[in-house]
Amino acid sequence: MSEDTATYVRKVKRAAKILLYRRHRQPGVKGWELRRALGKDYVKIVDLLSQQLSSLGFRVSRVYEDAVDPKNPTTEQLDRARFYVTVKDPLTASDLVMSGWRVDDVAALVVTVSYIISKQGKALRTDVEQILREKFPKWRVERSLNRFIRQGYISESEDVLFLNWRARAEIDQKTLIKLVISGETSPTTDQDSDNP
Amino acid sequence: MKRSTDDRARLLRIISLCLSIEKKGGNPFEVEVKKALETLRRYLPRWKVLEDFALDAETLNQISSIVRLQGNWIKHRSSTLFVDPLLIELKVKMLEPEKLLTIFRRTWHPIIEMDRLSDKRVEEAVDYWNQLLSLEERMIKLPEPSGVLDLTSIEELIKSRIINEESFTGLLQKFWIELKEKAAGEGRIPYWSFIYAPSYEETVLRAYLTSFLITYGFATMEIEPMEEEAFLIPHMEPKENAFKEQMISVPISIDYELWKEMAEEKKFV
Repeated sequence: MSEDTATYVRKVKRAAKILLYRRHRQPGVKGWELRRALGKDYVKIVDLLSQQLSSLGFRVSRVYEDAVDPKNPTTEQLDRARFYVTVKDPLTASDLVMSGWRVDDVAALVVTVSYIISKQGKALRTDVEQILREKFPKWRVERSLNRFIRQGYISESEDVLFLNWRARAEIDQKTLIKLVISGETSPTTDQDSDNP
Repeated sequence: MKRSTDDRARLLRIISLCLSIEKKGGNPFEVEVKKALETLRRYLPRWKVLEDFALDAETLNQISSIVRLQGNWIKHRSSTLFVDPLLIELKVKMLEPEKLLTIFRRTWHPIIEMDRLSDKRVEEAVDYWNQLLSLEERMIKLPEPSGVLDLTSIEELIKSRIINEESFTGLLQKFWIELKEKAAGEGRIPYWSFIYAPSYEETVLRAYLTSFLITYGFATMEIEPMEEEAFLIPHMEPKENAFKEQMISVPISIDYELWKEMAEEKKFV
């Protein structure tokens, strides 16, 4: 093994530790933290790690500070971005059951997130509550929204709800909107089973 | 006189409309920018006092924010993420929870992370346990005071060195400035390096003040996962939501032996 390869292997291992071990209250690591730990070519190291994790069904995701992802991110944008290890492929039905989410909580989250996306990333809490109360009792709506705020999916400021870091890191917004509009969910039936 | 009052009220209405749209995410094209700018131009020669010019500038600032929002609005409408909120509202009302569950499953990529316990942390925990007095011993009541109970004056507290002559807030402000200065280069400074002082008492006082800096949102503590070294990162402005956010406690013990070791090694001097 050449010296260069050995250095990369060592750095990829270190990147895996940094990204996988919880270190702050909020998951993920800022770009500048990775640069400090791995050197200026940290993006390359992270991409290598992502390739390695891919075979296990994981990937390294980036969330930029701006709502819209830049096509060619600058060094500053990468430094301020947050990096996470996430599940790569859509979950199977049994994966979701194991995650412990209740069906009504998931429904409330999908409704909340898709409505906020359609309103350009912010919506009045009363409007979201009104939609959710069509199908859920008031106490459940209150509880669900407060839970999503606590978990980092949405945030609230002066009765306005915003998409927060977790929704941006974990939810594929484009696919979500596409699926909600089309109401089409059948193509994944073959992925619902854990068996190949 | 009445006319200028009406003019001011008009500008305040424009500001209020702009702020409301910016805050609630309404349609920025509801503001008639051209008309608002014409109004500003018409009123400008009438202003005489500084407050009126400030109001004029503030209105212009708010209108420019609306122009920016209009740009974003068009960008969003032309993006793949654009969809009419009303359509989303109708669609989600029609979808059954089970169907929403399937949609979520296809779009959700949860974050993976692990908790871990290092040898060093286990060692610290064992030390802590060994040093901890039993609950019974800790519950022993303090003896009743023998003297007559009386209020302690500020002078006595200063004399006893319980409080400083400076106000606590003032002291904290000074301490914050010191942290900002010392961390100016790298943006952070090792915790022990910052709190170390030539005397043990002063070191404890600095650690005590540091805990307030973090609690009140003047700074953040970062712990390097590999080296388990703590760093202090000062904020340029105090974080407003410091108390609203879920907080975690990081116990750091400072005993005389540790301080002595630091002093002997002169590691941080």
